[in-house]
Amino acid sequence: MNQAGSPAPDAATLAALIRRVATARDKQAFAALFKHFAPRVKSFLRRAGMESGAAEEVAQEVMILLWRKAEHFDPSRAGAATWVFAIARNARIDHARRAKGLPPQPEPEPEAAPSAETLTLAAEQAARLRGAIAELGPEQKQIVQLFFFSDTPHAAIASALDLPLGTVKSRIRLAMAKLRSSLGEVP
Amino acid sequence: MILHHPSPETLLAYAAGSLPAGQSLVVAAHAEGCPHCRAEIARLEAVGGEMLEDMPPESLALDAFTDTLARLDQPAPRSPALPRQADLRLPAGTLPRILASAEISRWLWVAPGVRYSRVRLPWAPKDNVMLLRVAANKRVLAHSHGGAEFTQVLHGDFHDETDRYAAGDLIEEDEHTNHQPHAGNQGCLCLASLDGGLRLPWLTRLIRRSA
Ligand SMILES: [Zn+2]
Repeated sequence: MNQAGSPAPDAATLAALIRRVATARDKQAFAALFKHFAPRVKSFLRRAGMESGAAEEVAQEVMILLWRKAEHFDPSRAGAATWVFAIARNARIDHARRAKGLPPQPEPEPEAAPSAETLTLAAEQAARLRGAIAELGPEQKQIVQLFFFSDTPHAAIASALDLPLGTVKSRIRLAMAKLRSSLGEVP
Repeated sequence: MILHHPSPETLLAYAAGSLPAGQSLVVAAHAEGCPHCRAEIARLEAVGGEMLEDMPPESLALDAFTDTLARLDQPAPRSPALPRQADLRLPAGTLPRILASAEISRWLWVAPGVRYSRVRLPWAPKDNVMLLRVAANKRVLAHSHGGAEFTQVLHGDFHDETDRYAAGDLIEEDEHTNHQPHAGNQGCLCLASLDGGLRLPWLTRLIRRSA
């Protein structure tokens, strides 16, 4: 859907589009968000092991949730992609539960105000994080991706990669330390 | 001051959504009281956001957008009925907010000075979660774990052979740990998640030993 030649909107544009959905129920803004996020969410769900039909169905659900929850989006707390990632992650878990006849986990009430620590994660830091992820070694990047794209616990990841659990853990810790320092945090 | 946090790989699994529901609940309870871990989780979710941005877009069916548009203004599903929660006679604010949607049983006797309350998660009814209350200076009999155990101290403190754990701390133990927790002067209230289904492996062993 993204082959039209138009460049992908940047983080600030995406955040502004979500705000327009929140404040004006703007369906044009929603269309732009759908064009950007739905194919990525579908791709993410496919990597997480969902077959195409289910991934498509859940990707649509994620977009409906984005429409419903837009007013809870707080750009000072998280970037647009981070916020959509969290919705997609939870929708994936709920989908797996629904398949077993289980209800979704109710969302806890949102915090009253963003805390000082989370404020440091404003949208403009996404670029720094992106650069740091690109600079991770291939082994570290692979492990971080496996954590995000599978619902397997780390022991299963270790055996899938034929690595000792201790090696998996130390690669995770190294990768996280690098990402943290790229964000200017004390490792 | 919080001295014991979830391990980095546990926080990553939590942010990625791959932690089992019981353990995830205990980590969420910890994060409610720990700004350090809240910030780390926010960072990890931002990594997830970047991973999502990096995904090669995969086309949806041609009618997917119009189909979604048509469903936008359908009413949201009703929130589930409030779960049954026994009155555990704890001061307000003692239990983490994340427990609001869990079923909580009354206190059940385990051994002198040791009680537990079963926490049932409607979305993961097989996960083995409990509140455990140990009276001042009481000892829980030595036990080893059948699987991973996550424990969040909600009130008071306890110590074992290796360390001391106070309110706010989260302790991660694997199946190889064998320990004998000993509550401090104010007693101890913990939220714990144990691997291994509904069998309450070490609790049944405790009951057998103290019978
Ligand atoms: Zn912590």
